[in-house]
Amino acid sequence: MTLAPAPASEAAEQVRAEVREFLAAELAAGSFQTHVDTWLSGVDPAFSKKLGERGWLGMTWPKEYGGHERSAMERYAVTEELLAAGAPVAAHWIADRQSGPNLLAYGTEKQRQEILPRIAAGECFFVIGMSEPDSGSDLASIRTRAVRDEAGDWVVNGAKVWTSNAHHSHYGIVLVRTSPSDSSNRHAGLSQLLIDLSLPGITINPIRILDGGHHFNEVVFEDVVVPGDMLLGEEGNGWHQVTAELAFERSGPERFLSTYPLVAEFGRRVAETGDPAAVATLGRLSARILALRQMSLRIAAALDRGELPNIPAALVKDVGTTFEGDVIEEIRRVVDVTPSLESPDPLGRALAEAQLHAPGYTLRGGTNEILRGIVARGLGLR
Amino acid sequence: MSDQDLVVETVRDILSGFEPFALTAERRWDAGLWGALAEAGLTGVGLPEEAGGSGGELADAVAIVATVARGAGAVPVAEQLLVAGPALLAADLDVPSPEQPMTFAVADAVTVHPVDNGDGPGRFTLTGTVTDVAWAGVAAHVVVLAPAPAGIEGAVLALIDASGLPATDAFNLAGEPRGSLVLDEAPASGSLLTEAQAGEVRARYALARAVQLAAASEQVLAWTVQYAGERHQFGRPLGRFQAIQMELAEMAGEVTAVTALTDAAVQALDRGENVVLAAAAAKVRAGAAVEVVARLAHQVHGAIGFTQEHKLHHLTRRLWSWRDEAGSDLAWSRVLAGGLLADGPDGLWPAITRVV
Repeated sequence: MTLAPAPASEAAEQVRAEVREFLAAELAAGSFQTHVDTWLSGVDPAFSKKLGERGWLGMTWPKEYGGHERSAMERYAVTEELLAAGAPVAAHWIADRQSGPNLLAYGTEKQRQEILPRIAAGECFFVIGMSEPDSGSDLASIRTRAVRDEAGDWVVNGAKVWTSNAHHSHYGIVLVRTSPSDSSNRHAGLSQLLIDLSLPGITINPIRILDGGHHFNEVVFEDVVVPGDMLLGEEGNGWHQVTAELAFERSGPERFLSTYPLVAEFGRRVAETGDPAAVATLGRLSARILALRQMSLRIAAALDRGELPNIPAALVKDVGTTFEGDVIEEIRRVVDVTPSLESPDPLGRALAEAQLHAPGYTLRGGTNEILRGIVARGLGLR
Repeated sequence: MSDQDLVVETVRDILSGFEPFALTAERRWDAGLWGALAEAGLTGVGLPEEAGGSGGELADAVAIVATVARGAGAVPVAEQLLVAGPALLAADLDVPSPEQPMTFAVADAVTVHPVDNGDGPGRFTLTGTVTDVAWAGVAAHVVVLAPAPAGIEGAVLALIDASGLPATDAFNLAGEPRGSLVLDEAPASGSLLTEAQAGEVRARYALARAVQLAAASEQVLAWTVQYAGERHQFGRPLGRFQAIQMELAEMAGEVTAVTALTDAAVQALDRGENVVLAAAAAKVRAGAAVEVVARLAHQVHGAIGFTQEHKLHHLTRRLWSWRDEAGSDLAWSRVLAGGLLADGPDGLWPAITRVV
């Protein structure tokens, strides 16, 4: 599973410097505070809008859809800087990362014209509609149904869960069953619908995660009438579309930088104390980050070349999210610190945030067990 | 990539005539393999023809070292092609004939005396014990990095004729010679290096080991996947069991991480960048992967892999050895962290993005 090197990009380094400058100014002005795992929990529509104004959303998309036709390497640099700073990027994250590219690949001209420019402006946010109360890892077992009525519209019934930030979002790309399940081909009969979350019949119920935060939701669909032209892509092609979406979802720097703000605090502590054991731990953690960056960068370049590196993407997420959790234990072993969300010590706060979010790292976007199954298939074992 | 395919093919062809064997004090290297590689001009690749080498790029030399590592070839190509040879060239010193095996060692406990008064390339004598010399007793020449003579900053890179020097019997976990050489006013040609230049030579050595670790880890994964496909228990191949699939996937993740970072560090070296931090990171990451890769490879292979009757030990014993050679995991972790914090407590992230 050798990955070809990512091309060197001066443009990427330039935009990286611009983002760094912007973030330093925003931090200094108090417009945000650094937190761990902000691509899940840091919802700030005003901040997303600022990024849109600077051309840092929809970066790689065609200009006719509000994009900026910049390279995957430039987008990589921007996303990485935002994550490293623990900036509040959750509002737009899903739309920019995967819903937009999904619309570009499968959307109708009308869907693209209407929605993509708003995503790129940081004004339109998306949720992922995959998991259901009875369908987690076994995604093909979903039961949310969409049936065409006489007018050609879709009538949707069912429920989606773990729907991050649905209460702040405008649309969902929802995987639904559009024909009865077929035990000989479980992946057949699935389709993706583009659903406006303000439609009648949709109820959004909060689900609180371990730290009490409201990011997850259950989204219930009761006889929701979705206009017929809101089918995304082809009817029955949902499984293939979802799979393509997952390569984007699984390989980005958010799969190893969710807890980077904790590493940064640890780095400050190490610089202050010079404790030899802590210095070595920082070196080991940094070596792991450097390897993950190379993997992720190389996949970004492969996606840019039009390849679909599903197996390396699964590898990044497996190795990267394992790292995100390991950071907590590695740091605890060499620093005297008590985790608390109220701690006056920023390291104690970051540790608490990282710990309470930790179970999510290796679950979201496909559990690491599912990912390893994908890798095993790539190794020819299944 | 394709430029190196021919090199890899040639080395593989040669290796196919030399099965790896368990090294012993009596048979401490594969002289036949070395002879065949030298005859094909492969022991001078990456060294320019005007210096007596065979020409070729760094990428060719790396491909040779990686392929020999995959085949557990008991020859000092990593030391000669990636460390000693390039270090001599960079220091403006003559390179001995590449047909004779040459190695590299850090000699912190050796005292160096200048013979002439020149401060450029010159003559020195070296006194003291050089420990942990890879291929001690095998290599005809040793390039050592020693502290500069008293009163001078930096280090000396010196070339010693080791043919008449007795080496102590010490070996790494794979049986590769790692003995000491006792120098008593040993004459050497040498060159003064700055502390920074000396650091880059040490980094090259670490990167050479990282290249070997990455290649051997890849091979161990390939052997383990193959074994899991062939070995049947409970009426099906081991690889059909989810528990085994999880282990192999974990190995694949480690191997991919190591190869990506090592490859990036090699490319940075090829671009002429300072690779001290990149090499440190590659060495630390490759060393960390050994724990997972070797452990799970043995677990999947079962009892047969725990014997010398199976080939697995040729590489797992090398992995366990190489990860702490050319500077330990601990030493390089500290070099990396120190370098990343050089710009102060808030400079960590910018430094990380500059390494490779």
